[in-house]
Amino acid sequence: MHTILVVDDSPTIRKMVRASLQAVPSAQFIEAPTGLEAIEQLAVARVDVIVLDLNMPDMHGIDVLKFVRRNSRYKHIPIVVLTTRGDDSSRKAAEEAGATSYLTKPFAPQVLSGTVQELLNATVDSGAQR
Amino acid sequence: MAGNDAFFDGFLDDYYAESEEHLTAAADTLLRLDKLIGQPAAERAAVDDLFRYFHTLKAISAMVELKPAEVLAHHLEHYLRAIRDGENALTAGGTDLLIEGTRRLEQIISAHRTQTALPAINDVVAGVASLIRVAARPAADSPERSSEDRRWICTFVPTKELLASGFGVDAIRKRLAEIGTIVDATPRVGPNATISFEFTLLVPYSVDVVQQLIDVPVTVQAETTVNAAVEGTALPIGSDASAPAASGTGTSLSHVVRVDLSRLDHLMQSVGDMVISRARLSDSLTRIERHVPAVEWRAVQENAVAIDRQLRMLRESIMRVRLVPVGEIFRRMPFVVRDLARENGKKVQLELRGQTTEIDKYLIERLMDPVLHLVRNAVSHGIEAPDVRLAEGKKPEGTITLTAAAVGDVVTLEVADDGRGVDVAAVVEKAREAGLTIPAGALDVSDILNILCAPGFSTKRETDRESGRGVGMAVVKETIEQLSGTVTLDTEPGQGTRYILQLPVTLAIADALIGRVGVESFAIPQGSVREVIDVPEADIRQLEQNEIAPYRDGALPIIRLARIFGIPDSPAGHVHVFVTGTGSNAVGIAVDRIVGQREIVVRTIADPLVRVDGVSGATDLGDGRVVLILDPAVLGRLARQRTPRAIGDAAAWGRLRAFK
Repeated sequence: MHTILVVDDSPTIRKMVRASLQAVPSAQFIEAPTGLEAIEQLAVARVDVIVLDLNMPDMHGIDVLKFVRRNSRYKHIPIVVLTTRGDDSSRKAAEEAGATSYLTKPFAPQVLSGTVQELLNATVDSGAQR
Repeated sequence: MAGNDAFFDGFLDDYYAESEEHLTAAADTLLRLDKLIGQPAAERAAVDDLFRYFHTLKAISAMVELKPAEVLAHHLEHYLRAIRDGENALTAGGTDLLIEGTRRLEQIISAHRTQTALPAINDVVAGVASLIRVAARPAADSPERSSEDRRWICTFVPTKELLASGFGVDAIRKRLAEIGTIVDATPRVGPNATISFEFTLLVPYSVDVVQQLIDVPVTVQAETTVNAAVEGTALPIGSDASAPAASGTGTSLSHVVRVDLSRLDHLMQSVGDMVISRARLSDSLTRIERHVPAVEWRAVQENAVAIDRQLRMLRESIMRVRLVPVGEIFRRMPFVVRDLARENGKKVQLELRGQTTEIDKYLIERLMDPVLHLVRNAVSHGIEAPDVRLAEGKKPEGTITLTAAAVGDVVTLEVADDGRGVDVAAVVEKAREAGLTIPAGALDVSDILNILCAPGFSTKRETDRESGRGVGMAVVKETIEQLSGTVTLDTEPGQGTRYILQLPVTLAIADALIGRVGVESFAIPQGSVREVIDVPEADIRQLEQNEIAPYRDGALPIIRLARIFGIPDSPAGHVHVFVTGTGSNAVGIAVDRIVGQREIVVRTIADPLVRVDGVSGATDLGDGRVVLILDPAVLGRLARQRTPRAIGDAAAWGRLRAFK
C-alpha cells in the first residue's frame, strides 16, 4: 500500500491528480489544500510520495520542500512538484530546494502516473534500508 | 496537451464549480479594492488574493483546455504580479480592467458550459498589456507595525486525535487570525521528531491572549521567552513510532464536501416518505391502543415519541445541509448597480445587510432574477439623478439597501431605495391606458402593487435594457408566489420605495396548522399564520360581497373555506379564524374546527389541470387521506378582488376532488 499526499489549493486539481494516479496499483491518497496542512499530514500519517503545488496560500510549496529536505525523518520522501508552466525561475528554485521531479500543468495523466510509479519503484528498491 | 480531453472531461463540473468560487471571490475583492486606497498592507493582501485566484483559474482552465480562459487569466495574473512586485501601481483604470476581465472570464466559462460561442478577449488582453508597459512605481513601503501590538508565539503540535476532533493546523491558523495578525507560520521538528507549528502573532496589548486561547490546544508564550528552534534528531528509521498507520482510505483535510443538489433532494424525499410513514404508524397505533396492555403500550408509546424526535432532528439536519448564505444572491448586485448607475448617470451606494442569513439552495437559484429585477428597478426608476436629488435637499448619492433576515421559518428579503417613491398618479394613468381595471376609491399600497404586478403593465414607454428583458414585476410576483412567498410594497413619495419578499426557509417539509371544515381538512403553513382567534358568528358583518370581523380596532376580511370550496359546513355559533398577512393584506381564514399542528410533507400540484388558485399543494397526514395545503397569500388576494366566485369555480374543485 502506497500513500500519496496530494498538495494543491485547487480541489479540482487534487481530484484530477487522484484520478490520474488511479493507475498506480494499491495507491491510497491523502489531500492537503495548504502547505501547513501538508506538513501536518506528515506528522500524523506515513507518506510515500508527495505531489506538490508551488503557489499556495499561507506557505509556498518551496518552503514545504525545504522543510521536508531539512529533516532527516522525512527527507527521503520523493516529491513531485506539479506547478503551472511557464515559470522558469520556479523550476530552478524547486530543483535547488530538493524536488525529485518537476512537472507542469496542464499535465498528462500518464506522465504523472508514470513519474510517481517510477519513484515508488525506486523507493521499494532501496527499501531494504528502511 | 492533446489526448487529455477525454480523460479530464469528467471534471468539467468540478471545474465550473471551482472557477465560480474563484470568480466570486475575485469580484468581492475587486469591489473592496476601492475602499483600501491608503492602506498599503490591506491593499497588498487583496492583490495577493487576486493573484492567487487568477493563478488557480489559469491552471484549472489549462487542465480542461479552455484556452481563452487560460490566456485571459494569465494576463490578469501577470498584471497582478507586476503590482505585487512593485513594478506597477494599481490605478482606477486597472481596477476597472480587472473587473472587466473577471466578468469576461465568467462569460467564457458560462459560454463553454452552454456550448455557445466564446466571447473575445483581445480588448482586455490588450488593455492589460498597455497597463503593464506604463511606468513602474517605486517599491511599496513595508507594512506598518503598531507599537501597540505585542508579539506572541503560539505553538501547535498536531496529532491524529486533535485532527479528528477538528483541531487541524488550518483551524488553528484561522482561530489565531481572529485574535491577531499572523506574521509568521513556521513548521518545526522537535527532539523526538515531532512536528510542531510555530505561529508568530501580533496582538494589541489590550487583548488577553492566554484567556482567548484557553480552549485551543496551543501553548502560548510572549515572544521574549521563546527558545531558538531546535533542529530535530530523527528517530531510528523503521521504529514503530515512525509509522502511525495511515489507515484504510485516504483522508481529506478539506472540511467542505460538494454534493450534487439532486442527491440532497433525494435524501429529503426519503425523509418526507418517512414522515408520512411515521404518521401512518401513529394512526395505526391509536387504533390498536385499547387492545394492548397498558404496561406494554407505554413502551411502544415511548419508542414512538423517540422516533418522532429523531425524525425531526434528521429532517432539520438535512434542511441545514441545504441552506446556503443569501450572500450568494447579493454578491452579483454590486456589479449590476455599478454598471447601471454609470449608464444612467446616477450615483448609487449599495448597502448589503444580513448576508449570512441562510436559505434553501433551491430558493437561492429562483430568487436571483426577482431580486435582480427589483435592484435594477431601484436604480433606473427609484433613485433620481444627482442634480434632482440635490434640488430636493437630498444627498446626490442615492442608497439602495438589500437586507436579508430570517425569523423562525420565514426569510425576509428587502430591496429598499431612498429615491422618488412610486408615482401613484402615473401608475394609475398608465394602468388605464393599458386597459387594466383599477379598484374604485383611494388606493392603498397593496392595490398599487397589484397594478404594478399586473401582466402587461410597464411605466416606461420603451422597453429599456435593464427592465425590458421579460422579467417584469408580474414575473417577480409570480415567482415569489410559486415559492409560497409574498411580496409587499411600501412607498412614500420623495422618501423611497421598499419591496419586501417573505418566503418559507424551505419548501419540502413544513409545520402546518390543520383545520377542519365539514368533513374536509386543510393545512395552512404555520409560518404564514400570525394568530388564531375565535369569532362569534354574531360579530361577523356583511359588507358588499365580503364578510368582515372586528379585529384589533379594525376590520378583518373573512374567507370561509366552506363557501369557497362549496363544502357543507356545520354552523356552531362561532368560527375559528387563522389570521394571515399584515396591514391591508391581512385576511382571516375561517374553519369549523382546529385539529392541531402537524409536520407536513409538501407535494406540489404540478398538473395544470388540477391546479387551483389558493391551493399550493397536497399532503398526506398519515391516515391515508389527502389534505390540501392552502396558500394564504393567494387566498387573500382573491378575497380582496371582491369576486368570491373566482375560487369557487365548481369545475376546478371537482377536478381537485377527483385528483384526491
